[in-house]
Amino acid sequence: MASGFPLRFPCKSIIENPDENTNLSSRRGLRNRKKPKKYGEFLDLSPTKHRTLIDVESSDEEEEELEKEFCLQKPTALFSDDDVEGQDIFKFKSRHTKQDLHNKVKAAISNSPKVDTPTKTPKKNIVSRTLNSPFGKNNEATPKHVKDLIKKRIIQEVESDSDNSDFSASSSDFVPEGSDNESSESSSSSRTSEEEEEEQIKYTNKLQIVKNKGNKGKVKDSEYVVTPDNYFMMHSSKKITTSDHTLARLKNLNLTEKIDEGTEISDEHKTKIMELNQSYEQLFHKWLYVLSENFNIILYGIGSKRSVLHQFQMEKLQDFPCIVINGFFPGLTIKNVIETIIIDLLGNSHVPSNVGDIVKLISMQLIENDIDLFLIIHNIDGTMLRNSKAQTMLSNISQIKNVHTIATIDHINAPLLWDHSKLSKFKFTWWDVTTFLPYTEETSYENSIMSHRSGALQLSSLRSVYQSLTTNAKGIFNIIIGYQLENQKQAHYQGLPFKDLYSKSREQFLVSSDLALRAQLTEFIDHKLVKIKRTCDGSENLVIPIENSLLQQFLEQDS
Amino acid sequence: MESTVSVSKGVFLFSKGLNKKHSQKKSNPNLFDNIFKKEPWYVTYKRNWKYIENKLTELHCKTYSMLLNDMVNYINSFYFNNETDECGSIIPSATLLTGVNQPDHVSQFTALISKIRQEVTSHIAMVNSQDAPTLKHLVENTVWQLIHGYEALDDIESKDSQDNNEIKKIKKSQCTLKVLLKWYNSKYITVSPKKKKCIRMKRSLVIIIPDFESFNCNVLQDFVMIISSYVPALPIVFVFGVATAVSALHKSLPYHVSSKLLIKVFHSHSSPVYMNQVLEDIFLTHTSPFHLSGKAFELLTDVFLFYDFSVTGLVQSIKYCMMDHYYGDNMKALCCERENIEETVRNLSTDDLESIRQLLSFRPFLEAQLDCQTRINLFEDDDFFREVLCTEINKLHDYMYTFYVCVRLLSVLVTDLPKNVLGKSVREIYTKCAVECVTGTQGFKECMQLLNFQSQMKLVENIKQALKIINAALQVVSPVKPLRSTPTKNNLNNIQLSNDIGEKFVKTIRVHLLMFSRQIENANTETCILTDNIEKGDDNSENIPGNRYKLKEKLLKATRVDKIQSEFEMVRSRFVSYLEEMFNKGLQPPHTQIFHEIFFFSDVASVKKHIVGSPRGALHTALSNPIHYLQCSCCLLASSESVVDTLPDVCLAYKLHRECGKHINLFDWLQAFAAVLRPEDDDDQRQQDTNIHIRFTRAVAELQFLGFIKSSKRKTDHVMRLTW
Repeated sequence: MASGFPLRFPCKSIIENPDENTNLSSRRGLRNRKKPKKYGEFLDLSPTKHRTLIDVESSDEEEEELEKEFCLQKPTALFSDDDVEGQDIFKFKSRHTKQDLHNKVKAAISNSPKVDTPTKTPKKNIVSRTLNSPFGKNNEATPKHVKDLIKKRIIQEVESDSDNSDFSASSSDFVPEGSDNESSESSSSSRTSEEEEEEQIKYTNKLQIVKNKGNKGKVKDSEYVVTPDNYFMMHSSKKITTSDHTLARLKNLNLTEKIDEGTEISDEHKTKIMELNQSYEQLFHKWLYVLSENFNIILYGIGSKRSVLHQFQMEKLQDFPCIVINGFFPGLTIKNVIETIIIDLLGNSHVPSNVGDIVKLISMQLIENDIDLFLIIHNIDGTMLRNSKAQTMLSNISQIKNVHTIATIDHINAPLLWDHSKLSKFKFTWWDVTTFLPYTEETSYENSIMSHRSGALQLSSLRSVYQSLTTNAKGIFNIIIGYQLENQKQAHYQGLPFKDLYSKSREQFLVSSDLALRAQLTEFIDHKLVKIKRTCDGSENLVIPIENSLLQQFLEQDS
Repeated sequence: MESTVSVSKGVFLFSKGLNKKHSQKKSNPNLFDNIFKKEPWYVTYKRNWKYIENKLTELHCKTYSMLLNDMVNYINSFYFNNETDECGSIIPSATLLTGVNQPDHVSQFTALISKIRQEVTSHIAMVNSQDAPTLKHLVENTVWQLIHGYEALDDIESKDSQDNNEIKKIKKSQCTLKVLLKWYNSKYITVSPKKKKCIRMKRSLVIIIPDFESFNCNVLQDFVMIISSYVPALPIVFVFGVATAVSALHKSLPYHVSSKLLIKVFHSHSSPVYMNQVLEDIFLTHTSPFHLSGKAFELLTDVFLFYDFSVTGLVQSIKYCMMDHYYGDNMKALCCERENIEETVRNLSTDDLESIRQLLSFRPFLEAQLDCQTRINLFEDDDFFREVLCTEINKLHDYMYTFYVCVRLLSVLVTDLPKNVLGKSVREIYTKCAVECVTGTQGFKECMQLLNFQSQMKLVENIKQALKIINAALQVVSPVKPLRSTPTKNNLNNIQLSNDIGEKFVKTIRVHLLMFSRQIENANTETCILTDNIEKGDDNSENIPGNRYKLKEKLLKATRVDKIQSEFEMVRSRFVSYLEEMFNKGLQPPHTQIFHEIFFFSDVASVKKHIVGSPRGALHTALSNPIHYLQCSCCLLASSESVVDTLPDVCLAYKLHRECGKHINLFDWLQAFAAVLRPEDDDDQRQQDTNIHIRFTRAVAELQFLGFIKSSKRKTDHVMRLTW
């Protein structure tokens, strides 16, 4: 129920040990001045309180008063230590630089034992000129960064015993810890022994173990103070501070054929994922129980949940009428769903027009015939179900006593779909079903950024159209391509004027008359190979609406 | 699996079992019941939930009755007393301020409707905003319901079948106000020759608009205007449900519209009040078949106070807890009436008994048994164990009885203390008591100190109230006999709490409280003043200012002097220490009791996940620390920020993307991705590797699907980051 966001919002912890007082007081003194009024509450902390959670939201001045009036209550049980910190997810990264990615990769590689650094050093120097190199830039690290590092270390030494550093608001996010390697080694050795034990524990206890492990295995994150200014800083500049590389630099970005082949997953992961997924089968009986008590079920967590739901349907819902809805299907409308229920399932001839009547009709007929209907909605947050109308309808249908809904969500903002009256109608119980399975079906309809950018689809369609052209037409098209590529450096490429095209075509004996050329062009335009732009002086210019790099590739491969 | 994938369809119907059902319609009344019916825990759960549900409806009727009566009287007052009303085209309307907890309103309005139907008229229309997007729909819906609402009642009266047929012919699309007028006239005004129908009482028409704010303003304005023109002919009354404030009504209706309305405002209960009532009357009683441990209780009230303010939601959460508590656990069948304990215990199987033996709270009990033989018997002899179980469960019942009485007593004594250290309401005090032994806490001690300063009157009042509670509690168990024992003063000094708990304990408390109240009432407060006077005389006599130390000494003396107590103060301090002792005994937290697991639900962590859910947290954890879910040995991370090449592709892409700003260069991203996966290759090799391209593409597509990024037109081959 509720909005499904049990995230701890900006909290801060202050640890004060009496012996550190001198150190801290000076630092805090500095901060007092800088602090916006909102954070006033943080400063009121008495030294006896070691860990105080404060809602920034409620510390607004008006709300403060309100709160005093209402009661000075803080939620006590809603939040626990194993919650994911809000600022960990929505963290404002103070400053993103081009180097962030490099630093990360560098760190990753230096951690991994496989790297044979000495042999690579000569290369590093060569490559380091290109910005995208994962190596290099060793000596070009920003001085600010170094400063931060040193600052951090000093602080670490000062507060070596406190995990919750007060000074977490420093601008750099990248915190190399001196003891990184040691700690990881030691913990990994302990981990493996744990691991071995765990293998022996029976499968049925798995879930329990998962829970316990989760708390143990979780690394304590350093906390961050949210500075809203950073958000605005990040969004105020219109300039994009990334490098100018494009995917065109890749030699062979040809994703069409192999895209459906299995991804590389290590064997261990394969088995672990399988185990994880099998562990969810134990929940089926309970789900049925929950559904029977008129609660509905919503599944979340990363990974496609289709197979889990399919398994559930096969095992438990064989004898019940089910309706499976693919929310990710781009052609889905809520009308389809309603029609399936009212016409296909209940055998009516037409669908009433407004929501109330539909719900009344469905509930009446279901109760009359004593049917328990199961709605399995894959991605209730799918694009076509995101409008409030669809959600209202679904919530109203789910509310019916004889309708049981099992839905999945994947989008991070999915809970925003429901206001609390909808939520109360849905009566969801939330289940974490993280599967780590690839979203094959779900993303198959979507226009992937990469494949779209790579233009594989465009290229292949271009090719197929091109192949069906006559030689003369091919010639004409080549002229346009050639011209466009010649002039690609121009800032405002206007296109090939029709007049020029005609003269060029005539020169090559491709067309004999203006009209024939126009007929040919119409065909191109129909296939959207060419666009006609009219310039202000009235002449027609021809442009191919495909990226130049793709055209280049096309020319290289086909002509 | 493949059957539900299609490029042309998004909805798939599996109508298995549907035809079968038609043929044998009556054979299985509820399919789910068949699945769970045999399990004892399920039976117990069902029975107990039904009990709670009944209680809820009872309480519901009780709380709403006042308000509903007022409203019904108001509605009744129109069109009845004086037929020739002078209001002209003004529509009488009641505005019910409902509060923002919309989920609760449904029940409120259904209660209102049934009340009106009983006492005023059968012609009621309730139109939700979703059913009335346009004026046409609104009118159609209203008129249809007004006309057909009559039918529903008519079935009972079963008169005028002719009329009925006529009415049934009206289709929804034909419903207009003209039709309504005609129908109303034919129904009530027209003098039919056969019967004296005209004498039949005229009924007013009630139109309820439960969610005023969500209506389109223009639609409502037009509707009100139209209705107002019909008011002289039709006795129409409006009821508006307004969630925010009356000003909403004035804001959305301009003057020329609102001038047509005669508005009277009714206030419904605020939902926290209602929640407190629900909790105190139903769940925080010893009769409740299901108890929440302190933590669980805190969670649920927090969800209520900080998320939705909906009592319905709260009840649903409690229901879920209850379901979870009973699920698959036959020992929970012991959550039954006291009389049935023995039978239930007899019916428990050996396995069930074994699982009871495994309860954590059984161990201290076992260790307390000094006799070896008993210990062995407890383990091996099922019959013996059953007996023990019986007595212990009975004891537990007794314990709960005292516990709840004590909680209430404490709340009475403590509520009006300054600062509300322990809280105001019973539920707050309950949480404090259930979490830990409250008598040991700072708050309790403070409260007792404050009690030590309370005035005589206040104290007497409080004790009287406490007595009321005790009497009520005793009445539930057995009718109270008139108390004849007048406690003598001499036994006051050796008050001892008897060792037994339960009814007897409460009865002794009652006796003691009576005694104290009498004593406090009679005690005089004079002594204090007297001693003060004496001291003052002393002060005056040696009024010579000495040095500082002397002054200090004198002041110290003065403080000491104040400690001389009056009779009242003496009684009061004795009373307080008695309270401390009594509460110490009665308010032992539930988790100290043997077999408390059977009655008290405490698995907060798992339930919390299901009630509130944290989809985003789960995503984040899975992506930044997949080992949490996978339990693999390869992906061990030094910190949540670090990156290893064995991570699943999505996780890797996710981690890298978090390093970027608002915009992400796909090429750089891909290079970084490849560099982590193939650290030993050089750039050219990496760029050649189609396998990595494919993996990266898929990871990016999944991140896009999850909503972390979206494509951007700002710059070639860039994507926009949607989180920051």
